[in-house]
Amino acid sequence: MENNILVIGAGITGIEASILLANAGKHVYLVEKSPIIGGNIIKFEHVFPNFECATCLVSPRQQEVLQNSNIELLLLSEVKKVTGKPGAFSVKIKKQARYVDMENCIGCGACYDVCPVKIPNEYEENLMQRFAIYVPYSGSLPNVPAIDTENCIRFAGEECNACQESCMFEAINYDEKDEELDLKVDAIIVSTGFQQHKPVAKYGWGTIDDVYNAFEFERIFASNGPTTGEIKKKDGSEPKSIAIIHCVGRDENKYCSAVCCINSLKFIHYLKEKIEDIKITNFYRDLCLPGKKYDKFAGDMKSLGTDFIRSDDIEISSGDKSILVNYMNGDAKKQLPADMVILSSSIEPQKDNNDLAKVLGIELDSFGFFQESDPDFGTETSTRDGIYIAGCAQAPKDIQNCVTQAQSAVEKALFQFNLK
Amino acid sequence: MLKKVTANSKPRSSFNNGKFMPKSSVKKGNPKIEEDFFPKIVAFCCNWCTYGAADLAGTSKFTMPPSISVVKVMCSSRVDPVQVLESFLRGADGVLIAGCHPGDCHYDNGNYYTRRRFALLNEVVQSLGLENDRLQLSWISASEAKKYQQTVTDFTEKIKKLGRNPLWVKSEI
Amino acid sequence: MKERIGIFLCECGPNIAEKIDLDKVKEALEHLPNVVIVARHKLFCSLQGKEFLKESIKENNLTRFVIAACSPKQHELTFMIVAEDAGMNPHLFQMANIREQCAWIIEDKDEATKKAILYIKAAYKRVIYHESLDKKEIVANPDVLVIGGGIAGIEASLALAGPDRKVYLIEKTESLGGKIKEFDEVFISFKNGQSIIDERLERIEKEDNIETRLQAEVIDVKGFLGNFIVIVKTGDSEEKIQVGAIIVAIGFELINLSQLKGYGSLDCDDIYTGLEFEKMKKEGKITTKSGSVPKSVGIIHCIGRNEVGYCSGVCCLSSIKFSKYIQDKLPGTNIFEFYRDLTLPDKAYQKFYENIENKGVNFIQADDIKIANEKGLKIKYNKNKSTQPVDMIILSPAYVPAKDSNSLAEMLRIPRDDSGFFTEEHPKLAPVNTSAEGIFIIGCAQGPKSIKDSISQAHAAAGKILASIIPGKKLEPEVRISYINEAFCIGCQKCLNTCNYGAIYFDNLKFISIVNEVLCHGCGNCIASCNSSAIQLKHFKDIQMHQEIIEILR
Repeated sequence: MENNILVIGAGITGIEASILLANAGKHVYLVEKSPIIGGNIIKFEHVFPNFECATCLVSPRQQEVLQNSNIELLLLSEVKKVTGKPGAFSVKIKKQARYVDMENCIGCGACYDVCPVKIPNEYEENLMQRFAIYVPYSGSLPNVPAIDTENCIRFAGEECNACQESCMFEAINYDEKDEELDLKVDAIIVSTGFQQHKPVAKYGWGTIDDVYNAFEFERIFASNGPTTGEIKKKDGSEPKSIAIIHCVGRDENKYCSAVCCINSLKFIHYLKEKIEDIKITNFYRDLCLPGKKYDKFAGDMKSLGTDFIRSDDIEISSGDKSILVNYMNGDAKKQLPADMVILSSSIEPQKDNNDLAKVLGIELDSFGFFQESDPDFGTETSTRDGIYIAGCAQAPKDIQNCVTQAQSAVEKALFQFNLK
Repeated sequence: MLKKVTANSKPRSSFNNGKFMPKSSVKKGNPKIEEDFFPKIVAFCCNWCTYGAADLAGTSKFTMPPSISVVKVMCSSRVDPVQVLESFLRGADGVLIAGCHPGDCHYDNGNYYTRRRFALLNEVVQSLGLENDRLQLSWISASEAKKYQQTVTDFTEKIKKLGRNPLWVKSEI
Repeated sequence: MKERIGIFLCECGPNIAEKIDLDKVKEALEHLPNVVIVARHKLFCSLQGKEFLKESIKENNLTRFVIAACSPKQHELTFMIVAEDAGMNPHLFQMANIREQCAWIIEDKDEATKKAILYIKAAYKRVIYHESLDKKEIVANPDVLVIGGGIAGIEASLALAGPDRKVYLIEKTESLGGKIKEFDEVFISFKNGQSIIDERLERIEKEDNIETRLQAEVIDVKGFLGNFIVIVKTGDSEEKIQVGAIIVAIGFELINLSQLKGYGSLDCDDIYTGLEFEKMKKEGKITTKSGSVPKSVGIIHCIGRNEVGYCSGVCCLSSIKFSKYIQDKLPGTNIFEFYRDLTLPDKAYQKFYENIENKGVNFIQADDIKIANEKGLKIKYNKNKSTQPVDMIILSPAYVPAKDSNSLAEMLRIPRDDSGFFTEEHPKLAPVNTSAEGIFIIGCAQGPKSIKDSISQAHAAAGKILASIIPGKKLEPEVRISYINEAFCIGCQKCLNTCNYGAIYFDNLKFISIVNEVLCHGCGNCIASCNSSAIQLKHFKDIQMHQEIIEILR
């Protein structure tokens, strides 16, 4: 027994699990592939059903992770090899160089003001630009930039040390090397989260202007996003009508993601808050609102004013003056013009789940999520002893259930220590 | 709500020590807009939301007028009405109370109390002969750095138009 | 003892030094009473900076200090640790945020400098009134009381019981197992409900550290996290049980059909609720009352959804399971599922639904359904335009809170929502906690949910307890909390209702309110509610804030 536990993925699930384990006196290695912690939840401006600000919810927890001496945070890191057995796993981690010293950097931002490289910011759904030395969002934690070597011109061979020169704290070190770390851990919790489905061609996403998927729209609404919260069309004008399409990706994935309906209804509030007289139409199949609060939430949202059209065959095309939503209603083919379209895309397994599953020696299900040991009684145990799964890595679910699973996975990991 | 005004150790005795009465403003009883008037505003900000927004505004280098002085509280509900009145009596030209959005409170329901106390305070403030606009309640979440900047800027402008806190003049009589 | 106060100015590299004239600041502060040192450093949060701070505190025998730097949200903890390392109480310092609130937002250097001086002076005035706050340690009882012996309660008990932790499992009926033992098959694993329970009962039998009380109920609860005293009544005898945490797992009931209007005749023969149908399936005979095999069956979802005002989240799945039962037992039967919105919120559910649908079940979307008994059962829908005659009807009624949740909520002082389910501390981040620390809600007591989610919640509550109440380890509650000055309290009890955490209780003998140190979260709401200034929040005392306020208004 090493008293160490590895948590893979620092979204809300991994954060919750790490804090609990640290409080229980375990030493936690929290491995995260991006340069920051927080995962997908920090993209949200508000979360349903209470419209709480996601940053306000998560930032105290993020601080706790950064300040807890029992948690060793390994950013820009990936698990490369796992051998051994429960109570004695040997883990090889590849930790990419950040090129910015976490201790010395104070997050003043002087370095990115001088960076000559400008590229789309994938964390802002490519709606904003970032530099080659960057923090993903304003206010992300830890507030320490990283150098993206794929886009940095210095790493492409050009002579540039603008960021290093600008740094008054000598925090930037171009000679930093990638590291390989060998860890000994007793148990592993996998909380690698999800990725958003890329809508197929018929939805016009990426080809027709003003067609956004849910996260894109979330960032457009976000007060720290590309338009600082103003809902605008690409030409700068205010949309007068908007269509929200539910269940985008359901046919391809063959499951319901459980949260998109409620999240789509939340958008009604977003829209009415900013543009009072906007005309909203929801295209849905079945309104999936499981749980004690959501019918009321849906009622509140509907009362703000929106049309509902039940249709499971939808195609988006571009018209002369606006976007056209072509849909089947019963047997009739119909059309609705809209200035903007939001596609409520489903939750999908991370594309690198397959590699991670191989490394960990656990199985995936037919969709590509991690396979649980029992669909009713073991949703947090993987197919291998000592390795636990939680959050959207296991199946699509809402934040509440992600946190529940994190806490449950912690119980199972602690149970293994017989620490009762 | 008012009964605690004298509850602190000293306030009343130090009330007339003239410290908050800048020499430049001498037009007794008629505080007209002064060219060089720069308001003093106390902002009570809750630790979890608005203080976070202020931090983010700082990190984002959003410039603001230096009129606002922030006093951190854990929850906006910690702001005792007495402290607001005291600020006015001490010469504050405006008082801003800012916390999490309703329903967003870190302590679940603290800001509902704040909201209610604010409604009552408004009446008291009026009865003291102060304009209601000198007291403002704003909900600013931790990600709303822009809103924080806007609130601070707008509130400062508003107070500038209202002019100096008239209370000190009265208290001198 | 004479105070010796230090003021430390962080340059934060160029961030503060370039925007604020620190020499001027230093000048303005040096002659303040009791200030023995004003020092600046390039970066106090760096290793060298922290070392410099620590040495300065020691060398100058500082009793308090102010550090003017960045936001306390970023580095207050850092400097608290330095203070402790220097042998000082970590609460005897104050941070002035001159970076986020001066250097970075004020363009004019003179203005920024003035402002910084103001903030630092306010911090200086405040810190004089700071008090040493010492960590408290509280002995916590690791034992747990689980109320409700359904599958959630059983799972939680099994997860928690061990050599150092006893679990008391209280069940009001004569056997453990709850609703699940009435299910012939549970979705989505299709195991038999009874055998699921039997397997666990065997484990409970073997576990010495689970004490089960059947036909028992909780009649009184006192105390708080780590130290609850519970009175449990079994038959005629009452016993006192001491535990550190309580888990509420009292499950659900189905809505009473007699309350429902607008569905037509619900009380005819051959209309069954889901649970009644499970029983038939278990007994192996699916027949109408007259004993014949039904040729057509109608399954109606969402019974009572409008009345309760929420979707139970599981009825669609169990309704589809009923189709599977009928297909298994009586192949060839015509099955009609009347649904409103198919709710299939998990990765495995849609496939299950598609399998059943492909085998020939008719799924009909309809919002208004009426049952008529005119020469046999008929289901009318589409505003009475369509009619489907059937031999048997199965209803999927809504889940409602268990009957005794009201009395239990009062006893435990935990809130319930409008529908009557217990309210979690936070709908996103604390789904199994309640506003009363140490009391957890799991399974359908928290809200209607599937077995898989109930099991997850059971383990989640167990996880929270395992991580917070560790045998042999004491609790360390927050120290910046409220306290009540007994001499000032007039016993009006206004604060009791103001507190969201039930942390204030009333001492009837002394006739004053008292703050529970374990439960107080330190928000300070009670202070503003107190008419007699009897309550103070440590580190945010009136006098401390008063000093800060008057100074910034100078």
